[in-house]
Amino acid sequence: MNIIEISNLSFGYSRADVLRGLSFEVEAGCFLAIAGPNGAGKSTLLNLLAGLLKPKSGSITIDKAPIESYSTKAFAGKVAVVRGEFVPIFEFSVSQTVLMARTIHFGPTGFETRADRQIADEALLSTDTAQFASRPLAQLSAGERQRVFIARALAQSTDILLLDEPTSFLDLKHQVGIYDLLKTAQRQKGKTIIVVTHDINLAAQYCDKALLLGADGNYQYGDTTDIFSTHKIEKLFAVKGFHGQVGREKFFLPLGKFAKDNLSNHNQTR
Amino acid sequence: MKNLLTPKNLFLKISLALAMLVAVMFVCSLIGTESISLKAVFDRTSSQAQINPDYEIFVHVRLPRIILACLVGAALACSGVVFQALLRNPLADPYILGISSGAGLGVIIAVISGLNWTLWGRSPIAVFAFAGALGTVWLVWFIGRLTGRSSVTGLLLAGVVVNAFFSALIMFLTSIAKSQQVHSTIFWLMGNMTEENFSVLWLGAGCILTGALALFYIAPQLNVLSFGAEDAGSMGINIGKVQLAAFAIAALITAVAVSLSGLIGFVGLIVPHAVRLIFGPDHRQLIPLSGIFGAIFLIVADTLARVVVAPAQLPVGVVTAIVGGPFFLILLVKYSRKIGWAGK
Repeated sequence: MNIIEISNLSFGYSRADVLRGLSFEVEAGCFLAIAGPNGAGKSTLLNLLAGLLKPKSGSITIDKAPIESYSTKAFAGKVAVVRGEFVPIFEFSVSQTVLMARTIHFGPTGFETRADRQIADEALLSTDTAQFASRPLAQLSAGERQRVFIARALAQSTDILLLDEPTSFLDLKHQVGIYDLLKTAQRQKGKTIIVVTHDINLAAQYCDKALLLGADGNYQYGDTTDIFSTHKIEKLFAVKGFHGQVGREKFFLPLGKFAKDNLSNHNQTR
Repeated sequence: MKNLLTPKNLFLKISLALAMLVAVMFVCSLIGTESISLKAVFDRTSSQAQINPDYEIFVHVRLPRIILACLVGAALACSGVVFQALLRNPLADPYILGISSGAGLGVIIAVISGLNWTLWGRSPIAVFAFAGALGTVWLVWFIGRLTGRSSVTGLLLAGVVVNAFFSALIMFLTSIAKSQQVHSTIFWLMGNMTEENFSVLWLGAGCILTGALALFYIAPQLNVLSFGAEDAGSMGINIGKVQLAAFAIAALITAVAVSLSGLIGFVGLIVPHAVRLIFGPDHRQLIPLSGIFGAIFLIVADTLARVVVAPAQLPVGVVTAIVGGPFFLILLVKYSRKIGWAGK
């Protein structure tokens, strides 16, 4: 069953169209990666899916209902969003932050119910953040904080999770940790997960489907293994590189002008 | 999940803070240039025809002034909390979006035009201050909206520019005014408590308490909103509605406070900070506790203003600024180091 359907979607800021005639469907329980060069409209597409931007033309439906037919509150019960950056303003603790995902379910007293606390507790446990639940957000490392925001999104109890470059400031271990966490949420809770990412190697490892957006407005959508082919990546990102396979995992390593191995004309395949 | 706010816990904290407030009101009502004794105040044995001076001082001089300080302090502190959350800026205060200069402009216009009437027992100065404050906030909000929906920076910049423009107008009008008029304007700008009659106090109390309750009602939404409009929207908060409600209510109770007592600085800035440092940032307790501690702070400051240079009186704004200025600088350094937002 398709949980998200996008048909003939176009969007542009003041000057030119960023997205043109985009159509694809996302099955419920799918893990989708959106990749592409800077300015191709990845984050724009995410913001359209999050309901923050209105399409210029075309339509987005979620659970067979047009996205604009949802109220803010109803939409928050369908889609949760994790954004990349975070600027701390006040010293909210981890558990306070995660509980805020339940705000729309608070009763007239303005306080959470026992069920809300239980949901938040589960989210903390499943993201391995319960250990520092009472610490303020500003005192966490970037990786820990990213897990807290994923916990908050999980506590929203939605079918769909949208993430904007969830691993961009993280070290290797934490990058893998975040993807493990998302994969677990997909497998155990049947979440539909959409990540915007620059890390095509991790996306190839974890995601079922991939959407490659080109800077020229063209796009490719399909199974990750088909979409992340060397030819397509080199062409789309306009960069040459190593590609290869270790075990069953494929990888692509970009090579710059000053790379020690000068392999611009022949690719190594093993 | 430990250390989370529960309704029971909140009720307890509010009750204790209220008890403290009552105690402070009681003690401060006995302090003053004339020493009065409670026993004499409630002494009913003397004949009806005779005026009981202790009773007169207590009920018609001390009490109204303490109630006024309580109301103004609570209003400014609550509104400070809300502006800090809405603008996502811990250094915001109730006057940041032009309320002060708008009210000031209203006052100097009222003074120069020499109007002489009353509206519900209020002088033209108070009425013009109120109108000027609300008009300016509406203008800033309107300009802020033009710069983009839910754009905090646009709102802040609009506030700064309108403030600067109106300050220039105040300067201009001051320079053409007579010295007696200038004096009464400056006295008002420094923040000044007077003995109001009870009907004015009840009206003010009604507005401010209703406003504070309404703000408490949207406190959970303010919590989420302090993470930014985009995040709050994704969590199902109707941003436009909450922002408008919070903004309008905070501006209204500030305007009421300003029209009652002039521009009293720092209460709306340092009280929310101090309460946040001690009790944490959850607005469900920050709003009621800031209100109560704001009231306590201003009652104490006004008592000092009454007695420090007795029999003369200081404007209470001078006391709050002298106490609040250094405290604010300490907070500024502390916050900037801890959060590092100033360097970003």
